[in-house]
Amino acid sequence: MSWLDLFSAVCLIAGAMSCLFGAIGLLTFPDVAARLQAATKPQTLGLVLILLGSAVHLELRYASGLILVGLFQALTAPVLAQLVGRAAYRAGSVRHETLDTDHLARRIERERGGSL
Amino acid sequence: MGDSEPRHRLARSRRGGEHVVSRRHPFGRAVRRLPLLGWLLLVWLLLWGTYDAGTVFFGLLVGVLVIGFFPAPPIATDIRLRPFRAGQLLLFLAWDLVVSTVRVAWQAVVRGPRARASIVAVTLLTDSDHLMAMVANAVSLAPGNFVLQIDRANRICYVYALGAGEHATERVRREVLGWERRVVRAVGTAEQVRMVDRNHRSEVG
Repeated sequence: MSWLDLFSAVCLIAGAMSCLFGAIGLLTFPDVAARLQAATKPQTLGLVLILLGSAVHLELRYASGLILVGLFQALTAPVLAQLVGRAAYRAGSVRHETLDTDHLARRIERERGGSL
Repeated sequence: MGDSEPRHRLARSRRGGEHVVSRRHPFGRAVRRLPLLGWLLLVWLLLWGTYDAGTVFFGLLVGVLVIGFFPAPPIATDIRLRPFRAGQLLLFLAWDLVVSTVRVAWQAVVRGPRARASIVAVTLLTDSDHLMAMVANAVSLAPGNFVLQIDRANRICYVYALGAGEHATERVRREVLGWERRVVRAVGTAEQVRMVDRNHRSEVG
């Protein structure tokens, strides 16, 4: 077993673990916003690690496409999380009893009571 | 706050010197689109995985066609790329991704349904569409935090942070401002860099 194999194995296992913990978080967290953290983010790391683990075994011409996969995952996942999170907040799917502080609710209340 | 809120007032002139430019000299317009063409070419090359003259030629052709048929508004921006600082930013993003993933995984297993969170309003220092978008993306990339709502006119990010606790407000504010500092150092103007550095010194020292 070469060092490359070892590196690859570590990356693949770590990536798979990351996805696994994402799935566990998806099951155990209390509301949409918290589950979003588990649903969108650990997969980013998991995917990047798995791509990295595979890429070191490929020729450059096959590995170059994988760079794009990782890049677009890193660019789009936060946007997705923001859109779903915002929609969830507005639809009332964020459980307020899990929040210690909520500046957004205060502001919405203020605006409802005020000019709007 | 509803949709009455003016989030994208592009026509308004700003202190940051950012504005939409559309009817200028056609040559200047072509030059401003060169980075986009370069990016499209890079994606094309990465997709094909071959780097010979033919691929480059057709990549350029497709790029020109795409830009010609789907014109995006050329937006003038005062972003300056500092390669070393940008590299630092990327490394820090990767590091933060690992640390935060471990933290959220720990929370998922240990706290699970009893996980706490906060939504914290953070006012950014800089006033620029591009910087704000980059800061929001940097904050949202790692697990644990994400930007729930942006109030562009007042430069406020509403950040949802998992695993909050007592000092959450201050911690989240420091984290977001830290990202802003790193983003500004990587791509901001000299004036913006001075502004975030000054603020950083006054908070630390």
